[in-house]
Amino acid sequence: MRPRPRWQKLLRDVAMERGRVMLMTAAITVSLIGVGAVLGAYGILTRELPANYLGTRPASAALEIAGGVDRALVDEVRRHPGIAEAEAGDIVLARAQVGEDWVPLLLFVIDDFGDLRLNRFTAENGAWPPPDGTMLMERSAGPVLKAAMGQSLRVKTPHASPRSVPIVVPIVGIVHDPGLAPAWQEREGYGYITRATLTLLGEPATLGELRVTVSDHPFELGAIEAQVNQLSRWLADKGKTVIEARIPPPGKHPHQNQLVGVLFLMIAFSVMALGLSAILVATSIASIMGRQAREIGVMKAIGARTGQIATLYAAFVLALGSVSVLIALPVGVAVARALALMSAKMLNFTIASPAVPGWVFAVQAVAGLVVPLAFAALPIIRSSRITVREAMDQHGVDSAGPGKERPSAAVLSRFLSAWTNRVSRTLILVVRNTFRRRVRLVLTLGLLSAGGAMFMTALNVSHGWERIVDRVYENRAYDVEIRLNAPTTVVETLRTVAGVGHVEAWGFKRTALWRAGQVDIVRTYPDGSHGSLTLVGPPIGTQLVHFPLLAGRWLEAGDSDAVVLNHMVLSQLPGTKVGDEISLSVDGRPTQWRVVGIVEEVGAAGVAYVTDQAFLRATGSAGRVGMLRIVTTATTPEARTDVIRAIERALATGEGSVEAVIPLAVLRTAMGDHVSVLINMLLAMAALMVTVGMLGLASTMGSNVLERTREIGIMKTLGATPGRIARLIVGEALLIGSMSWLLAVALALPLTGLVGQTVGRLAFRVRLPLIVDVHAVLGWLVLVAAFAALATALPARRASRLTVWGALGRV
Amino acid sequence: MSKNNDGVQLIQLRDVTKVYPGAGGGFTALGGINLCLSAGELTAIVGKSGSGKSTLANLITGIDRPTTGEVLVGGTAVHALDESRLATWRGRHVGVVFQFFQLLPALTVAENVMLPMDLCGTYAASAARARARDLLARVGIAEQADKLPAALSGGQQQRAAIARALANDPALVVADEPTGNLDSRTAESILDLLRALARAGKTVVVVTHERDALRKFARVVSLVDGRVAEQTHATPALLGEVRL
Repeated sequence: MRPRPRWQKLLRDVAMERGRVMLMTAAITVSLIGVGAVLGAYGILTRELPANYLGTRPASAALEIAGGVDRALVDEVRRHPGIAEAEAGDIVLARAQVGEDWVPLLLFVIDDFGDLRLNRFTAENGAWPPPDGTMLMERSAGPVLKAAMGQSLRVKTPHASPRSVPIVVPIVGIVHDPGLAPAWQEREGYGYITRATLTLLGEPATLGELRVTVSDHPFELGAIEAQVNQLSRWLADKGKTVIEARIPPPGKHPHQNQLVGVLFLMIAFSVMALGLSAILVATSIASIMGRQAREIGVMKAIGARTGQIATLYAAFVLALGSVSVLIALPVGVAVARALALMSAKMLNFTIASPAVPGWVFAVQAVAGLVVPLAFAALPIIRSSRITVREAMDQHGVDSAGPGKERPSAAVLSRFLSAWTNRVSRTLILVVRNTFRRRVRLVLTLGLLSAGGAMFMTALNVSHGWERIVDRVYENRAYDVEIRLNAPTTVVETLRTVAGVGHVEAWGFKRTALWRAGQVDIVRTYPDGSHGSLTLVGPPIGTQLVHFPLLAGRWLEAGDSDAVVLNHMVLSQLPGTKVGDEISLSVDGRPTQWRVVGIVEEVGAAGVAYVTDQAFLRATGSAGRVGMLRIVTTATTPEARTDVIRAIERALATGEGSVEAVIPLAVLRTAMGDHVSVLINMLLAMAALMVTVGMLGLASTMGSNVLERTREIGIMKTLGATPGRIARLIVGEALLIGSMSWLLAVALALPLTGLVGQTVGRLAFRVRLPLIVDVHAVLGWLVLVAAFAALATALPARRASRLTVWGALGRV
Repeated sequence: MSKNNDGVQLIQLRDVTKVYPGAGGGFTALGGINLCLSAGELTAIVGKSGSGKSTLANLITGIDRPTTGEVLVGGTAVHALDESRLATWRGRHVGVVFQFFQLLPALTVAENVMLPMDLCGTYAASAARARARDLLARVGIAEQADKLPAALSGGQQQRAAIARALANDPALVVADEPTGNLDSRTAESILDLLRALARAGKTVVVVTHERDALRKFARVVSLVDGRVAEQTHATPALLGEVRL
């Protein structure tokens, strides 16, 4: 059965407008793919990341017990009210030799590999459990340790003397631990050993951590803290002192908030792209209906009602949306899966099922059908309501009415008239033509400038990120930080090392906020870095750090109870300001401090700075040093590495133990690795919006040329050459592109600020500096000009080839 | 609206004026028009360019609205209908023929004729197709039914437009310069077609500026500067016999 005539018309209109239909479909499809990809990835990741993390059965808290935990105590704790599960374990920060360098190695000591109940991990390859004297390696640690299964690592542990020979530990298996941030991102290795192996490495055989999960409200921080305090008191009654309780954010992977934040940002941009493509559809439909005004008038003259006309064109948009949805659904799924896999790799978790949730398809389908229709509704209704007479009088030029001139057009005319004798006629025509369809011009400018603004924003934010990462160098004037426990004589020893320019001994001790009558609680994950709090005592007058002051002042000689907090502490002590008193726990004792300043310290966890004298008084660590910060005389990275290796060798001949040697370059690289993917995602979003913007420009220029076919014919009769016609068309596109560039630059500034703030806060809790990347600004100008020329090449060619007869013969 | 009621006044315009807004107080296209046209009458509206003849035709078809006054067609107060009712009324009761044919280029000739039946829901699809072919046969272009308008000559397109105007069997056919874009021979045949419609009982109003053709009309309304300057009635002998 053949469709009724009005639907025949619709089908043939689609065929006749195939170029424009393809542009509109492409725009909706591209943006729908973006929406589907981001929403799909969101659906997969927010399902799989918690499933992976919770699948490890993460401990609600890890209690560090003086004297260690035995199995009998663990059994008792398991029966304790409010405790769902308990297990003993330990984490040792060791070091592994990689080539000539030493890198941090977190060794997780497992009491019973056959009965792993909390913070579980799974075997991927090799032995399980590892025989005594061997270790398993986390799968993401290979690139950091430059090792693989079957190879061995030379390992030193904290209690081993620097002089002792490193123990060779074979890697006999690979495991996956989704509870940890990827090793390559943290620049440290993860190993898993038995208690016997720990002894072989020279550490005490005791397991210092009691890990528990609570049974009531296991995902509520308050409930966990209350249970931990209650358990600590119970343990104290049994003669067991809890040194510290580590409670990570309940049920959340260390990078979960950042991931969700980034995904929300991407969702916002993809929705924006969809909005832009819907605007493109709206402008195209307005253009098509404008050209078909006479047909609409004729249909009305022979009995069509406004509703019938509107339904016809609404069906046109719905048909476009349907085709876009059909294409975008499978492609969106594929991209969503790729995006999810990439994110999973970045966060070191396994996607059990790549299935995209059903609601994503529903949202994508509804978005593809409803959003373009909603945007096109206004032009459709407006054009459908045209009367027969208005339709017959249509001349295709945006005007205010007979005998009238829009005020803006009048201003433009006067301006151009004033320049008539000074600029070429072609240029004047270009400018006048550009402003003839003002609504369309505004929408096209909106499309292009939004795309350009996103492009510049992505690059600006990327540079803002680089700038903030550069602060690692700007705010720190040393080359290497060494965390150790050694006599202060080590300072003199290191000063004699060739290439060492300056050595400072700093106090360094892990601390926690003191809560009267409660156990010390820190908000760290098992890796001990995310969310930690450290008390640091720099020498007065040190020139090795220059952190920007957010409030108050830096430490001064004579400060006895003054503390300067870095901004990361504020997440644990929200609302703290200069002048406040805070209590920090040092070895289980309260110490009182007065906040005199708050500094911005990018690239660190929470740090409370006190003077070295105050540090010694509070910790009683006279004669020992916890941290060294060393300046080398080296001028190249290679030379600096050589000096650091020489320092390592010197330390190996001394007393005490080295916990970590952290070259500043490693810290900077780790920070860069945390965000490279994010920047790439921003650029992908920018590409999406740029594509939609360019399609918009192509569509606009196509419409403009088509509507002026008659004029072009008239111009040709008056002597306009094909070259001049082509220059007019391309010139108009270049003018639109240039105007959009100006708008994009203006729009990019607030957008950069907004995105920079979001990204910066997610990553470092600071706003990224607002940087305008000149290359991005100029690059976009070149790009938009090139695209404008490209987008108009076909319409310009078509227009220039029109014969006078062909042009004037058109109705 | 009755379809065969010769002598009954089908069209009545009472004190109709039409002023188009514009600089200097606007332009009066029609002023104080009082006109009655009978059912089954073949009427020509003539006048110079700008005399208001097309405006008058547009007021009768409801394409335009009077500034003041009343337009009654078959008892329907056309001036008082809203756009939606107007479209439905026009589709069912008025056939409109334009100077430039205005066939929809995307539809075949037959589909163009079927379109009013589709829009007004007057005939089922199969019946509409048969009726379209019948109408095209009546105007002499049955063999062109499945072609696109662009493939037809001007005369054939205007015949198709007349067939389309007859799709819903309206009592009134209004043609605005139907021969203005045609050669004299073709124009003659189109006018003969319109005369035949009147003979078949339709009320036919034709806007024209071709003085030579006026002998074919039963009544001629001359407009000068928006006013009815003269009304003449031709004798039946002059009209001759043309059958549709």
